[in-house]
Amino acid sequence: MIWDILFRALVVGVCISILLSLISYFVVVRKMTFAGVGIAHSAFGGIALNFLLGFAGYLLPITFSVLASLLIAFMYKKGKMSEDSAIDVIFVFSMAFGVFVLSLSDGYSTNMLGILFGNILSVTRYDMVLSISVFVVGFLFILYYFSHFQIMSYNEELAYISGIKVDRLYYLFWVVLSVVIVLSIKLIGIILVNAFLVLPTLVGLNLSKGYKGIVAFGVLSSILSIAAGISVAYYMDTPAGATIVLAFVVIWLFSIAYNKIRI
Amino acid sequence: MITVKNLTVKIDNKVILDDISMNIKKGEFVGILGPNGAGKTTLIKTILGLIKPTSGLVYIDNMELDDYMKKKGFYIGYLPQHAIVNWSMPVRVVDAVLIEKVRPFGLFRRYSKEELESVEYWLDMFGVKDKMYSYIRELSGGQQQRVSLARCMIHNPEILILDEPNTAIDVVYNTKMYELLKGLASEKMITIIMVSHDIGAVTKYVDEIMCLNVKLHCHSKTDDVNISTVFKEVYGEDMEIVVHGDGCKNCAINKAEK
Repeated sequence: MIWDILFRALVVGVCISILLSLISYFVVVRKMTFAGVGIAHSAFGGIALNFLLGFAGYLLPITFSVLASLLIAFMYKKGKMSEDSAIDVIFVFSMAFGVFVLSLSDGYSTNMLGILFGNILSVTRYDMVLSISVFVVGFLFILYYFSHFQIMSYNEELAYISGIKVDRLYYLFWVVLSVVIVLSIKLIGIILVNAFLVLPTLVGLNLSKGYKGIVAFGVLSSILSIAAGISVAYYMDTPAGATIVLAFVVIWLFSIAYNKIRI
Repeated sequence: MITVKNLTVKIDNKVILDDISMNIKKGEFVGILGPNGAGKTTLIKTILGLIKPTSGLVYIDNMELDDYMKKKGFYIGYLPQHAIVNWSMPVRVVDAVLIEKVRPFGLFRRYSKEELESVEYWLDMFGVKDKMYSYIRELSGGQQQRVSLARCMIHNPEILILDEPNTAIDVVYNTKMYELLKGLASEKMITIIMVSHDIGAVTKYVDEIMCLNVKLHCHSKTDDVNISTVFKEVYGEDMEIVVHGDGCKNCAINKAEK
């Protein structure tokens, strides 16, 4: 039984960590880290609504999160307010809405803790199958469009002149990000998932100067932190989400040390 | 080559460009001058299709812009303002020069021998061949700008549109760059539109000058322009042209600065 739980957590963790570390590269180079925080927190409203209505599955949280992220993206594109301000408004609305809705449902504290910090026991076989499916689609999507996103990060005007459908890809990127974040919440939680949007690329930047190395080290460090975090959580009986993130921070510190020694 | 007909651009109900019409021939080197906020960047972005005009049309090779882009794609080399490029990207100069050659699954791409030779050639032309495998964030602003010029040329464009290409480039290389651009226009018949605040260089190297301040105040051969009169109209300042023996035959100095 426990091995089943650990296996499911490991599979879900590896799938989402690879996707998030690929996304992390563009989030960091485009200086959009706050966007990750905003989207992760905007999923809170949808998950809380799920509890209140007694629904299972991901349809409502993903719909809620995707709509919120598209709204952030739209407000930013229109240039009516800065991206940070747009994210902030959606983020606080969704958190307030989530707390309000959760307070109306039974098991307020338990549900709240699970959403915010993850709960490894709640990862089901269905979550595993869904994570693998999203991983396959998301992985192919990001790799297929990698050089498209690369030029968009370099200069969007050049991307447009190169014939890239800039707006379409921009919105799709946010959709993929919000779906992956919702899927990762059970294992890692809303608060801690942001680590996977920043740390992979920060580790990569410490170990490599070029984008291929940064992406490769980002993916490897993410997988390592998932494996190490779940193992330590099992032997020390600690919360998996928090332990995974702590393992990632330790890897990041090692990468800083390596960078200093190398220089 | 490039025809603009009755082009008007309004942003938030503010008129940025007012009824601009012009015709630029193949192989012409055109300099656009005007004060800050005159609409110079808006004009080139509208020609490139980055900004939709409120009214009017842009034709390239007798085709509407969209049709030209679909048919020819990379035949326009564009150098945006230095400040709006993400120079902190972890890419090498060779990657930056080839960044517009977008491929599916580009993370795993390897450059062909022809691509690398072409990059080397254009980096050499712009004097930064030795930086081919350096990271762009490690270059000076002037070197980054030269890398951008090499990127513009890598697709053998028919049209070059340059927004303040001399930003951060030192005085010595500035002259070389203008001479190179003039050579590209006359020898390779590349049509060049260049926005610049470098009045001296523009009046010396370009074939035609366009003076813009929301409206197009003049568009004529460099030698035919009464620069003092036009600049007074466009910049709103009394200008005096001082002609030197060598180097800059038409440089303008603001009286107030004398």
